[in-house]
Amino acid sequence: MPVTTLEIEVNGRSRRVAVEPLAAAPGRFRVAWDETVRVVDARRLDAETLSLVLVEGGSGSHQVRCVNGARPGAVDVHVGGAVLHARVDDGRTWLAGQGGAAGAAAGGGQVTAPMPGKVTRILAQPGDEVAAGQAVVVVEAMKMENELGAPIAGRVADVPVAEGDPVDAGVVLIVIETVT
Amino acid sequence: MKVLVANRGEIAVRVMRACREMGVPTVAVYSPSDRLAPHVRYADQAVGLGADRPAESYLDIGKLLDAARRTGADTVHPGYGFLAENAAFAGACRDAGLRFVGPAAGVIELMGGKTASRAAAQAAGVPVVPGTDGPLAGDLPDAEVRRLAASIGYPLFVKAVAGGGGKGMRLVREQAALLGAVRAARSEAGTAFGNPDVYLERCVTVARHIEVQLLGDEHGNVVPFVERECSIQRRHQKVIEETPSIAVDTATRQALGEAAASLARGVGYANAGTVEFLLDEDGKFYFLEMNTRLQVEHPITELVTGIDLVRWQLRIARGERLTLDAERTLTPRGHAIECRVYAEDPEAGFVPCPGRITTLRRPDGPGIRDDSGVAAGYEVPLFYDSMLSKLVAWGESRSEAIDRMVRALTEYEIGGVRTTIPLFRWMLRHPDFVAGRFDTGYLDRTLAARPSEPLLAPPPGAEEVALLAAAIHVVTRSAAARPEPAASDGARSSWRQAARVGGLRR
Repeated sequence: MPVTTLEIEVNGRSRRVAVEPLAAAPGRFRVAWDETVRVVDARRLDAETLSLVLVEGGSGSHQVRCVNGARPGAVDVHVGGAVLHARVDDGRTWLAGQGGAAGAAAGGGQVTAPMPGKVTRILAQPGDEVAAGQAVVVVEAMKMENELGAPIAGRVADVPVAEGDPVDAGVVLIVIETVT
Repeated sequence: MKVLVANRGEIAVRVMRACREMGVPTVAVYSPSDRLAPHVRYADQAVGLGADRPAESYLDIGKLLDAARRTGADTVHPGYGFLAENAAFAGACRDAGLRFVGPAAGVIELMGGKTASRAAAQAAGVPVVPGTDGPLAGDLPDAEVRRLAASIGYPLFVKAVAGGGGKGMRLVREQAALLGAVRAARSEAGTAFGNPDVYLERCVTVARHIEVQLLGDEHGNVVPFVERECSIQRRHQKVIEETPSIAVDTATRQALGEAAASLARGVGYANAGTVEFLLDEDGKFYFLEMNTRLQVEHPITELVTGIDLVRWQLRIARGERLTLDAERTLTPRGHAIECRVYAEDPEAGFVPCPGRITTLRRPDGPGIRDDSGVAAGYEVPLFYDSMLSKLVAWGESRSEAIDRMVRALTEYEIGGVRTTIPLFRWMLRHPDFVAGRFDTGYLDRTLAARPSEPLLAPPPGAEEVALLAAAIHVVTRSAAARPEPAASDGARSSWRQAARVGGLRR
């Protein structure tokens, strides 16, 4: 059976991992990294869930969910209620995810939707001067109205949404510029 | 009897279960988003309401009555939320010749109006919290609102007259925030309940939220039940409830029960209802409000008394007499706890997390009850409350109930949406919770003071397990997810697909 070599990062620590399905024992995998070797009996319960029983190098039984993250190679592993973020590079996926993610933090004066919902009221118009923390827009989701405050003091430069608009999480609702 | 359940989610399923046990046929109503929800599949008949927005679906009295007429239902159970405390709906049901499972419209009107219910409590000799004696007029000048607030004193609450469940409610600590809070509460109340009226009430600090379930029949009998402790709240929404309360002794239990029952008798209350009280540090209690409906947290009362409240609701609605005695209903057997599992991210400010449930594994075993309204494959809509399920644990003692709840939470797996399960696992092991040292502000304060770290630390060895899992997942997922080539029969190929996903190797 072919050996797959992966670069896997968990908790910021990266390791080169060799995974070999054992032809003689269906469902079993030999997994090796550094000086460590484990043989694991792995069964898939559904698209996300694996039952792992260590056969060599331990005897632990673990039910684990692996959820593919948004970026290529990202896998969120749910173990015992905690989530560990893994990144898996099989030589093809990793680079594709490197660009893009920055940019969002620039120019602090934006109010973005914290969740998918609907804009119910806009409390500030372009040109208005607002104080930091002052409520500028109301987004309704799941029957709760959420007043969103200005992150900085300044002047409203743009309101790219209208009352009644459905919005996804992260959509810019109000742009505020500092007044000099 | 044939019951139309004018609600959705777990409570609709809960009511239909009682109906099925009684041999009573059921009718579900549903919005397009809820077509695949469990309550629709559980019912004997189901009627589409044609729209998702609450105002055009679960709040649309005309559509609900029409669904009852078309299916021949003779009884309407409103559940909780939506129209459960809407007097006009109760009246419209009775005008249409339907039994409404709840008190008379006039009683809902009286007790649902928070200011009128305060007056009724005062008339029944039940102590009340200081506040405005009526709703604030919509055109009341700002200066007058400020004057009223100052006369009550800060901190105070702005509360929706028609409110409940923390909606249309704001805590105001100082005058500067008053007018914004009134505006926000009015708007939220208008959206949630169709009535924007609000009133002001003093916030009793360091208090517990204690409530008394009761049942009344149409022949003047009322029985109160052992109290529920609902002080673990986040922004005035109950998060964890338990019964009995660690802060209530037998004498106080008796006094609370008598106060609740005398209020209910005074207004001619029939069916299930709950009287909410604040209990201060000195053991004094004050009437807060009455909920003229079944409560979310009713299962904990059922577990410690062995009484099916929903079955009794239906029996009362068809005119039966209560045969329960207060000695039994006020004597808890063991201890029960409920956790409300919401599709919210407790690690990120509790933002709602609508989305598709990819994996669902529910807890089971001794002392566990899970009243759920969702299923794997179901898309949690963003139109409605985000509660997925109510997990309830019973134990011989409080500590056994806590242990069982924590164990059940470790069994509960919900994939695809973030949930409040990690919050419960953290809270139930917190020394203050274990010792019963909390008040209604406790959870908010404790969350605010928490260092920013995950609620649950990974178990020992988790890093290696994650490494193994990620490696095997990536190596096997392409085989698991590969589409069936040259599929000619769609249905058959998806069966094969499911079979393939079910095992790593065929």
